[in-house]
Amino acid sequence: MRIIVILGRVLDPSGIVVKGSAGRIFVNREEYLIQPADACALEAALRIKDGMAAEVVALPRSPLPDDDILRQAIARGADRAIYLTGPALKAADEAAMTGVLTAAIERLGGADLVLIGSTTLDTGQGQLGLRLAEALGGAQITGAWQVSSADGQVQAVLQRNGRYVAVEADPPVVVTLLPGARKLRYPDGVRLINVYRGVGEVGDALEAWDAADLVDEAALTPLVESRGKEFAPERERGVRASGTPAEMAQAAADALRQRMRR
Amino acid sequence: MDFTFSPEHIALRRMIREFAENEVAPIAAEIDRDHQVPMETMRKLGQVGLLGVCFPQEYGGMGAGEMGYCILMEEINRVCTSTGTNVGAHIGIGAMAIYLDGNDEQKRRYLIPLARGEQFAAFGLTESGAGSDAAAIRTRAVREGDSWILDGGKVFITNGGYADVVTVMAVTDPALGARGGITAFIVETDWEGFKVAREEDKMGIRGTSTAELVFEELRVPHENVLGKVGEGFVTFMKSLDMGRLTLGAACIGGAEMALESAVRWAKTRRQFGAELASKQAIQWKIADIATELEALRSLVYRVAWLVDTGQPFSQLAAMCKLYGSEVASRAIDIALQIHGGLGFSRDFPLERGFRDARIGEIYEGTSEVQRIVIASNIFREHGVRIRP
Repeated sequence: MRIIVILGRVLDPSGIVVKGSAGRIFVNREEYLIQPADACALEAALRIKDGMAAEVVALPRSPLPDDDILRQAIARGADRAIYLTGPALKAADEAAMTGVLTAAIERLGGADLVLIGSTTLDTGQGQLGLRLAEALGGAQITGAWQVSSADGQVQAVLQRNGRYVAVEADPPVVVTLLPGARKLRYPDGVRLINVYRGVGEVGDALEAWDAADLVDEAALTPLVESRGKEFAPERERGVRASGTPAEMAQAAADALRQRMRR
Repeated sequence: MDFTFSPEHIALRRMIREFAENEVAPIAAEIDRDHQVPMETMRKLGQVGLLGVCFPQEYGGMGAGEMGYCILMEEINRVCTSTGTNVGAHIGIGAMAIYLDGNDEQKRRYLIPLARGEQFAAFGLTESGAGSDAAAIRTRAVREGDSWILDGGKVFITNGGYADVVTVMAVTDPALGARGGITAFIVETDWEGFKVAREEDKMGIRGTSTAELVFEELRVPHENVLGKVGEGFVTFMKSLDMGRLTLGAACIGGAEMALESAVRWAKTRRQFGAELASKQAIQWKIADIATELEALRSLVYRVAWLVDTGQPFSQLAAMCKLYGSEVASRAIDIALQIHGGLGFSRDFPLERGFRDARIGEIYEGTSEVQRIVIASNIFREHGVRIRP
């Protein structure tokens, strides 16, 4: 069974301080993590691999400036990772990435199961999984808590209206995982050191593929092109509460209630 | 000069911090309160490879060198000094002695399970009459055929209550004194004649085992002599050098915790209409901690680099231990003062940190002994021999 896991990165929120009075975000420590929902997807893939013969291959969900999260995936147990590069990829949007990832999956020999986070922590993007299912021509299961595989099928547990629902589908299947569904395992120390040194059994596990070798240039052109200046959205200032903790909690509840009425 | 960490060491630090915050920090107060060694956490550390961080991969280690080991000690001690002490005694002196002077067979037999956390190690040097004066040990080993018979005992042995393997120093030839008359042995704790006599009830690092060990006609096979007969003094000095460096790294963690707590509190605590952070008296204290912390960090990681590149480091290791332990104590003292009455409360981790930090100036050579070592080396270069 070949399982593809799509991974993105996000700035570690613990290294950020939001200073409301200055209207700014201060980045004290610029470190990146695997997107939380994508981390759940990776853990789900590794758990399937723990129980059966499977190959786990990690691919990026968007153009990445470096291959760090892919090395992390290998350190945690992925068999291979493909770092997609090339100048044409830099402006790729979800539509272009869908084309590149589909071509990459085809070059890998296809996939029985594609796992990806249902949403991203920073931008809230959640369309890539759905687009991939469409492009690969397979079933899609969205917002899963658990994924498993048995008897040649893929099983998943979803949450619907406060209840859990078990579903299954024939491969190829794209499953999007909810953030918080699974805690990602720790890296294995030896794999971690070796994947960064490029030695040992994981020495060749990371490959770099040029996107231009996978799709033609037209396919990499974003559907929506950014033009003109970027500007921050207009926002009303927050409300500062004071007094005892109980008074501040009451003030916060009142402010939220008013906002909801609006 | 290059002061940057390699990508693998940056990734290693991230891994250790993730582990420390998820697995170690949540139990730190509990193991201190209950005086319990966190065995499950220790095993988990072994399962992910961290208990073999500095040993070669062929002996079950990770191969991240002394730099990697210092990162481990910094990050674990940042959240829990007890767990850091367990790790340090296991890797830094217990297993380290086997790595430094063991033969290939000994390393395969003992180092591999120690690196994987399947077994735990301790280092048996200190005796009731031989603390700072370590060369005055009296535990005796007498050759009998293919074995040695050990009689005597050790005190204040970190990990002593649960270790599977202890590297023990014993006198094999009293006439030769420390240099030539002491031999190191690898002792398995389930052998007949090995006994854990008592556990110390300590002021700090209460999530550790500090035990008194007794050896009564303890038979040790000759193949378990570590290094050469009569060269145990060299083994324990080399092991202690490594231990002193990594205790310096542990102190970076302790001082970091203090600085982070002090800054966090100074930002939120308001007195006389303003945050503590706006008061110059507090700013100066924070500046002092931060400056000493950076100086310590530079010293420790430079010495780790010397070790990894095969250069002499013994003198600087003593400085790491001396300076590190005093910086950590000062930092926690200042952070506690900034917290005022709440710093004195057991509800805040600084109270535990304050008790834990005190041992840094005592174990593995007191601050006074480190000063003697440092001064002796300096005067030796000028032709003057100092006796303690």
